[in-house]
Amino acid sequence: MKKGISVFLFRMGLASLFLVLTVFTLSIVVIAQELQVAVHLQGAEVVPYWDPSDGASGEIGLMNNLYEALLRYDAATNTFTPILATSYEQSEDAKTWTFKLREGVKFHTGNVMNAHAVKASIDRTIERGRGSSYIWSPVDSIEVIDDYTIRFHLRQPAPLDLVVAAGYCAYIFDPAYCDHDWFIAGNDSGTGPYTVESSEGSEKVITKKFDDYWGGWEGKHFDRVVFLSVSEASTRRLMLETGQADFCEQLPPTDIEALQDNLAVRVEVNPSFQNLMVLYNNQRTPLDNALVRRAMSYLIPYEDTVAVGLGGYGYVSRGVIPYGLWGYSDRVETFTYSPTVAKALLTQAGYPDGGFKFLLTYPAGYEDIRKTVELWRAACAELNITLDTRAMPTAERNAIARSPDPAKRQDIYLLYWWPDYANPDSFLSGMFYTQERPAYNLGYYSNPVFDALIDYAITLPTGSQEAIDMMVELQNILQRDAAGIAVWDMQYLRAMNTSLQGYVDNAAYPNVVFWYDCYRE
Amino acid sequence: MLSYIVRRLLIGVLSLFGASIIAFTLTRIIPSDPADMWMGPHATVEQIERAHVELGLDKPISVQYCIYMSKFLRGDWGISIVTKQPVLRDLARYLPASIELIVFGMLVGFAVGIPLGILSAAKPGRGMDHISRVFAITGVALPSFWLAMLLQLVLGKELSLFPLIGRVDLLIEIMNPIRRITGLYVFDSLITGNFAALKDALWHIVLPGLTLAMYPLGLATRMVRTTMLEVLREDYIRTARASGVREEKVLTVYALRNALGPVLTVGALTFGYSLVSTFLIESLFAWPGLGRYAAKAIVSVDYPAIMGVTLLVAAFYVILNLGADLIQAVMDPRIRLS
Amino acid sequence: MWKQLHNVALRAKRNPLTVIGLFLVAVFLLLAALAPWIAPYPQDVWAVHPEERFSPPSTQHWFGTDELGRDIFSRVIFGTRISLRIGMIVVVLAFAIGVPLGLIAGTFGGLLDEILMRVTDMFLSFPPLLLAMAISATLGASLENAMVAIAIAWWPWYARLIRSEALSIRERDYVEAARAAGATWVRLLFRHVLPNSLAPVIVQASMDFGSVILTSASLSFLGLGAQPPTPEWGLMINIGRSYFLTHWWIVTFPGLAILITVLSFNITGDGLREILDPKAERW
Repeated sequence: MKKGISVFLFRMGLASLFLVLTVFTLSIVVIAQELQVAVHLQGAEVVPYWDPSDGASGEIGLMNNLYEALLRYDAATNTFTPILATSYEQSEDAKTWTFKLREGVKFHTGNVMNAHAVKASIDRTIERGRGSSYIWSPVDSIEVIDDYTIRFHLRQPAPLDLVVAAGYCAYIFDPAYCDHDWFIAGNDSGTGPYTVESSEGSEKVITKKFDDYWGGWEGKHFDRVVFLSVSEASTRRLMLETGQADFCEQLPPTDIEALQDNLAVRVEVNPSFQNLMVLYNNQRTPLDNALVRRAMSYLIPYEDTVAVGLGGYGYVSRGVIPYGLWGYSDRVETFTYSPTVAKALLTQAGYPDGGFKFLLTYPAGYEDIRKTVELWRAACAELNITLDTRAMPTAERNAIARSPDPAKRQDIYLLYWWPDYANPDSFLSGMFYTQERPAYNLGYYSNPVFDALIDYAITLPTGSQEAIDMMVELQNILQRDAAGIAVWDMQYLRAMNTSLQGYVDNAAYPNVVFWYDCYRE
Repeated sequence: MLSYIVRRLLIGVLSLFGASIIAFTLTRIIPSDPADMWMGPHATVEQIERAHVELGLDKPISVQYCIYMSKFLRGDWGISIVTKQPVLRDLARYLPASIELIVFGMLVGFAVGIPLGILSAAKPGRGMDHISRVFAITGVALPSFWLAMLLQLVLGKELSLFPLIGRVDLLIEIMNPIRRITGLYVFDSLITGNFAALKDALWHIVLPGLTLAMYPLGLATRMVRTTMLEVLREDYIRTARASGVREEKVLTVYALRNALGPVLTVGALTFGYSLVSTFLIESLFAWPGLGRYAAKAIVSVDYPAIMGVTLLVAAFYVILNLGADLIQAVMDPRIRLS
Repeated sequence: MWKQLHNVALRAKRNPLTVIGLFLVAVFLLLAALAPWIAPYPQDVWAVHPEERFSPPSTQHWFGTDELGRDIFSRVIFGTRISLRIGMIVVVLAFAIGVPLGLIAGTFGGLLDEILMRVTDMFLSFPPLLLAMAISATLGASLENAMVAIAIAWWPWYARLIRSEALSIRERDYVEAARAAGATWVRLLFRHVLPNSLAPVIVQASMDFGSVILTSASLSFLGLGAQPPTPEWGLMINIGRSYFLTHWWIVTFPGLAILITVLSFNITGDGLREILDPKAERW
């Protein structure tokens, strides 16, 4: 009886096996690869924003290969490389900027890039008012002098060379092809070396080289570049190890350590302009007391958070401006881990025995932040301070933080911050300038003196001694108040295939590989 | 029969309508702010407020619902807050990938599970029964993303037998692009004669498919075993046996026929459930499926996408259930459609 | 009484698998009850020891230590408490809602059935994650709320399953006969329909134990449900995912714990049904 069924099942199994085998014998072996294909992995989505006017996040890696800006800023040497502009000059008061444009540049659509296109692109970006488009806020009007000369008139002095070189919202595109629906269907109209061949949602984009690229295709380049979103860090690492990927941004430090023994993978450690910020609720008791905020700041085991959270790939912060960005200075006062000082401060504030419970929210899904929070929590517990730590999705976290009812808001808010262009002011005014209805001032800090100094500081010439002194002064105000503090400044960890050559990291364009400059050895 | 189907479908539409109201209310009462996701990080106060107006979040919920439904019925399912793409286009993109994976997993699961269940029920309490029960129970008890990691590590990384992630190799995609007809890569490449892609697509589906197969496998084995043991006690089986029908036939034709009904019902439920619940596996295998899309939508309170997914899955559920009930009625004469 | 017990014991003897399952369940219940005394480092549920992080399994730390230097063995032991609680509460809650509703719908049919099934359909047609998420989000993210949320997403499965059983039982001769003989509905329900339709639901419930633990892990992953540093197994796996390839022990032991727990509950549930189901004797 049982035998009968077994035979029946066995026959069924054989039949299906045969079917599968047939399919495989029929399949044709792929023709040996002639094309040079590069694969760029990232954890986040490849194209959250297809529209070149709207960008503000993970699409930066792809978009900077499809589109180009007038200039490119090199954060390491503090110099500019001409891209679509060949030269530029500014007026004495830094309110008028004139750019000479490169001739003979074609859009992927076949049309020619000229001053009218530049004006139309930037005007559209300003008009849409999305993403990081506010970088253009100093611009009053754009004037076309001739086909290859364009002049910006500013409302107030601003470092426009940094703005036109921004990694977001500074792209020039063909105004004849700039319909929003056309973009989001997966099309591009830039001047960059690569153009979209096919895409699958926001997860995967295959680009091919643009034959008419103004830089030409002499020498070694990639024919295709694939941008792929792989959300699991472990999977990204496996793909690198097995040669299925060429470049991978932001791997966890534990994976980096493991990869360092692998000859097929090269790891680079580079500075970043990104740090972890802690914003205290400056309006709620007892955190409205600067002594309590300072005490809390003395309870973060800074060295441990860098060692454990970042695997040692980072620096303990000194002020809110990160290491490597101008305005960072050792003249800024700093906090260290010291439960004794914390205890003394608490006693001075009238809370010698602690007894607080703080609601702390941090973004879900970031191991480095979670570990930092855990270390802080353990240190607080020693002084009888309870941190009720919650990892939350951004949408929910921000709804709590921006709740019109202050009673519903959190006590402590943690976030990554990075500037939209190499601009230290972003750290100061973004999170600490008084905001009636808070956007990112989620510690609800309000200090008229600080605000007035910020208003003055942005009129100072970029990177001048006076401007740097001002940044130091502003940071010291924040540190003394412990309005909010930075915990650590990250380093960016890049892992790439050993055969990949030509990659240069540029902190001003985080996570961007300019694939045109790269080739396989 | 026909009037029964029509009636069921009408009721289905009604429950879809109910589901849409509940879903909309739920997504709107969550205290959450999709504005950053819409405008991008570091949005200014003005941008956040503009986002609220653009997304219609400033209107009362009932008005928002009416606007949404009237557009929905005209085929405009809204723009996803996360992907900034029309929701309908997103669904058309992600649904086939999920279906392909789940169908593969369930086919494998049932193809192994049902025979195991029969073998078990044929001689309960004997060796084969114990083996298949352990197998079945393990299949259900295995944490699926744990299994996925193990499979990736052993079969993918150490032995390099199968690709780690994705639906098709990038080189294949560039050299032998699959013409998109249904979005089911295996099917599309088969009917267009693109055998290189077919082989590759099959190769890619093995690991995530096996991971997904374990649950239906265990489920099918257990359900078949349980229900067959019950059916085998019925009088008509005894009569059949007594009248000399071969045991093979008793088991596969008479008993299995009736035992399959509950399996199908559970199968239909599992299918609908799997459409969104597999997001961890889809995430591990970078499988561009509906589950991952839904999870992302939920986290970002992307309510047009959530509504779209909910209504789509709900529609699937209605149809699958009807199908399962019909088949059950055809196979088991004891059940009358009413 | 003794004779009955003796019979049960006899049947259990014929079913060694069940005995193993029962034994494992007992061990787990014991671990959960005695966790603070068994765990070598009970303070590691909360405390951190950064200098001891990522130690592989050793005599000091049987299961190694995690990314913050906490003893994984101790955390897994404490995890028995949490995971068992999640599984039990959710299944019991879902059972308490789903079984009566399904039973009533299946036994009485008609308009009542129609209404109950439409409500069930509405809940079932929801992506369960969305439902759980929305409820947790509205109630506030915590393990307790996550459990309520999962139970609400879960009960329709039981309702449907038991209804379809009840439906087919209702049509059987002995029920028809009882009805014809004028049995009251209470008697009909409890004497005939309930006992005969419970088996598949119990199978389903015992199988769901693991799925519930895993679903709660998924919620934790999305930032709902259990929050770190709660030693919940699913959460431990989710966090350990990032370290799996370099430090295998972080994910492996909580995963094994889930597997073994769920296995033992499944085997036991399955076996008990056969032992206690009087119909099994006919075989």
